Amino acid sequence: MPRSIEVYQVNPIFRSMREVMTLVRLYSVSKVYPNGAVGLLNVDTHIRQGEFVFLVGPSGAGKTTFMRILTRQVLPTQGQVIVDGRNVVRMKPSEVPYLRRTVRMVFQDYKLLPNKTVYENVAFALRVTEANPRQVRPRVMESLELVGLAGKARAYPGELSGGEQQRVSIARAIVGAPTILLADEPTGNLDLDTSWGIMELLLRINKTGTTVIMATHNSSIVNGMMRRVIELDGGKIVRDDERGAYRREADHYMVLPG
Amino acid sequence: MRLTTIWYFLAEGWRSARRNVSLISLGTIAASLFVLGAVGLVLLNLNHVSQLLRSRIEIRAFLEDGLSADRIAAIKAQIQATDGVKQVTFVSKDEALRTLRAQLGERASILDVVGENPLPDAFDVKVEEPDHTVEVAARVSRISGVASVNYGQGFTEKLLATMRLVGVAGALVALLFVAAVVFIVGNTVRLTIISRAREIEVMKLVGATDWFIRWPFLVEGMVVGLVGASVSGLLLFVGYKFAVRYLAGLAPFIPVVTAPEPVAALCVALLVMGVIMGAVAGGVFVKRYLRV
Repeated sequence: MPRSIEVYQVNPIFRSMREVMTLVRLYSVSKVYPNGAVGLLNVDTHIRQGEFVFLVGPSGAGKTTFMRILTRQVLPTQGQVIVDGRNVVRMKPSEVPYLRRTVRMVFQDYKLLPNKTVYENVAFALRVTEANPRQVRPRVMESLELVGLAGKARAYPGELSGGEQQRVSIARAIVGAPTILLADEPTGNLDLDTSWGIMELLLRINKTGTTVIMATHNSSIVNGMMRRVIELDGGKIVRDDERGAYRREADHYMVLPG
Repeated sequence: MRLTTIWYFLAEGWRSARRNVSLISLGTIAASLFVLGAVGLVLLNLNHVSQLLRSRIEIRAFLEDGLSADRIAAIKAQIQATDGVKQVTFVSKDEALRTLRAQLGERASILDVVGENPLPDAFDVKVEEPDHTVEVAARVSRISGVASVNYGQGFTEKLLATMRLVGVAGALVALLFVAAVVFIVGNTVRLTIISRAREIEVMKLVGATDWFIRWPFLVEGMVVGLVGASVSGLLLFVGYKFAVRYLAGLAPFIPVVTAPEPVAALCVALLVMGVIMGAVAGGVFVKRYLRV
């Protein structure tokens, strides 16, 4: 007997195991910016714990808006958003910092602080959460080791290559052990070899149980990973494939397989 | 809140103040606090003069002629019992004449023409509250046996009114300078906030609470306020000492505050105000940049 039915019998509120483990849920979410630009239009979706999801689509399709809504950088104009059991829309402003400690972000432009060393940049994210000061050093070093930059702890971001800087920003994102890692075009400024290094790293983080949601234009990466792909266009979900590729007719990013 | 967090706020605020605050803005703050302190010193001296003048205000109650010693003693007791009276001293007509002779000096001979002592017996009445002089004088004048009262009618009223006006005007000027200092400190902190907008953005994105972000700026404002106030306080304290010495040689009849305590207290008040204004400015201005 499948496990999902067992759960159903025990507690009819849970319709399936899939729903039990849902981490992110969007209920007909729309975002129209004050200037009339459409960010998202009536988006319904859910993402389970431990998933690795690609958000693809042309510029302005709503990928960034999707991520900004999950971290409450913008409020949707309509709909409800549940992240890790919290209602992001109805949340009080004072709760937002705690949401952002479970949902960490990695950016295309890294957003590192140039006047702080690599170590300080990562430690900063932990100190902000008022973590136990005795744990700061070991945890920061652990993160830096995971991204392979323990040897550059004393360097400043300006002394590092783009790929290394992105690794620092990933170390900063995972040092607080987030539930969800959002990556907005993390390989956008990097060459293909370096990008694959970053992808390997994100995959390793994903294997430890962290849900990864990554927005990207990079078709070869999407096609090489064979993970869930949500394709957005004009703010709407036009495709949601469990093991998808980056393929869209008449899209100039299209890459033929092989 | 953890002790290490508080330490972090202090260290961050101090470091940021050292890195971001220019000599020019510090100088501006010190200068405006100096002016504020100088206004304070002028007020302090005006208050001193006013206190001095007011303490000299007296009522002289002249008695009717030919009263017996018992009657005079009874009147004295009656005045003493009047509301607002602090002290009563009897001035006999002979005593008054002697004082008058001394005041007239060489021209005292004109008193000889009069022959008999024309002056009446009198009481010198000191009042508890100089502001109530007029009312007390009226009450004393109603006592039977008192022929008339003199308290420098006209002059006393004018003096009291002028002193009140000076006090209010001084307070207004001081308030204006407080506002100016808050604005300048706020602007200084604002500049450092703008230069650190990126840092604030990152802090917000990694889940810092608003107060966690605000505290270092508060500390920075306090440091700026304290340093500015220290410079101006020191200059004021030393400068005042020299000014008093100079004035004492130039115009010794002007009564100035020479005791160091009230001046020191003013300088300490300036320090406290600098710190508070810095904190307020830092706290208020950063709030606008927290909406990420």
